[in-house]
Amino acid sequence: MDIAQIDSILSSHAGKPDRLVEVLQDIQDIYNYLPEKALWKVSETLGAPVIEVFRVANFYKAFSLQQRGRHLITLCMGTACHVRGAPRFIDEIKGRLNINPGETSCDKSFTVETVNCVGACALGPVVIMNGEYHDHMTSLKLRKMIEETEEKDKENAINGEDKHS
Amino acid sequence: MSDYVTLTINGSNIRVPKGTNVLDAALEYGICIPHLCHMSDLTPIGACRLCIVEVVENGKSEVTASCTLEAKEGMTILAHTDKILKARKNIAEMLVAEAPNSRAIQDVAVRCGVTEVRFPFRNKNCVLCGRCIRVCSEVWQANALGFVGRGKDRHVALPFHNRPEFCKRCWSCLEVCPMTITPCDGPMKEGEEYFCGKCESQLTMALGSIDTCVQCRLGAGFGCLRAEPEK
Repeated sequence: MDIAQIDSILSSHAGKPDRLVEVLQDIQDIYNYLPEKALWKVSETLGAPVIEVFRVANFYKAFSLQQRGRHLITLCMGTACHVRGAPRFIDEIKGRLNINPGETSCDKSFTVETVNCVGACALGPVVIMNGEYHDHMTSLKLRKMIEETEEKDKENAINGEDKHS
Repeated sequence: MSDYVTLTINGSNIRVPKGTNVLDAALEYGICIPHLCHMSDLTPIGACRLCIVEVVENGKSEVTASCTLEAKEGMTILAHTDKILKARKNIAEMLVAEAPNSRAIQDVAVRCGVTEVRFPFRNKNCVLCGRCIRVCSEVWQANALGFVGRGKDRHVALPFHNRPEFCKRCWSCLEVCPMTITPCDGPMKEGEEYFCGKCESQLTMALGSIDTCVQCRLGAGFGCLRAEPEK
């Protein structure tokens, strides 16, 4: 973990406990989650009690205290999506990646979340992959999507290694 | 401008310093309003709702928690109307259902007239009164405890669920917790919770004398005298 990046975020907010949420958002953007070490640092610099930082980090769903995967799959579980078979996606992901909603796969490549409605009921069932909305999803489409992402990841890994060598 | 305000609680005129809350004012003058989360040195948060009273204004009455209500000049408070007693009984009943393993809560419930608990027992061993948290942050300035989570997942926790270095191990949190003393017959097993109510016979004995409480040590600790319904 690179502490220097946190220092640059915190430098302009020192001694201002009311900027807590902004700071946490910035840290979440860098690491994709909130590391415990970073939160202690935040508490120290902003002058907010560490329990307050912990409470806020727990309160909002946008913050995660567990390390998250590189790719975020969000499944809509709203009424319309549910009726059109969204619960099957949970089984599909459970079979494919062996994780339940809210969990991250062992290799830290995928995190799966469920949300109650994304407001696109006419297009349901909706799956959001890294912020990109996919309409009229089926288990097959979802499987293909995951496979493609995995392959891309592999290619990137190989290319990355080439660059290093 | 005077630094005192005069208000009426259950028909008696009461003069208290400005800024006092209605619950403290009533207790000081010997009018008992049952309460659980309130401690006179700490900021009131109105968590347990046991101290509800009726505030009469322009012929309309409003039910609200007295611990978070600041005493104002000319205020009219009714602490023991039928409506309040009924609501308070229900609240006490729910508190027992939430945490039957507390003698304090069982006793307060008896005093509020609970005879049976109609809600399913959840036995969470915490009623989220926030006494521990407020003692830690306000008296000791340690801030080692706090409410974490939201909605039904709200609970008292340490930062990152580990005891931090700045916790001074004063154990004030345990001292003020209503859960630390179990009912007379010991802690109840899960699935076998019941409403104790054994002090009920003593309640009638205490009815004759003014300001005597049911003989329980915890009742004294919570500054809770007997609630006498208005005739």
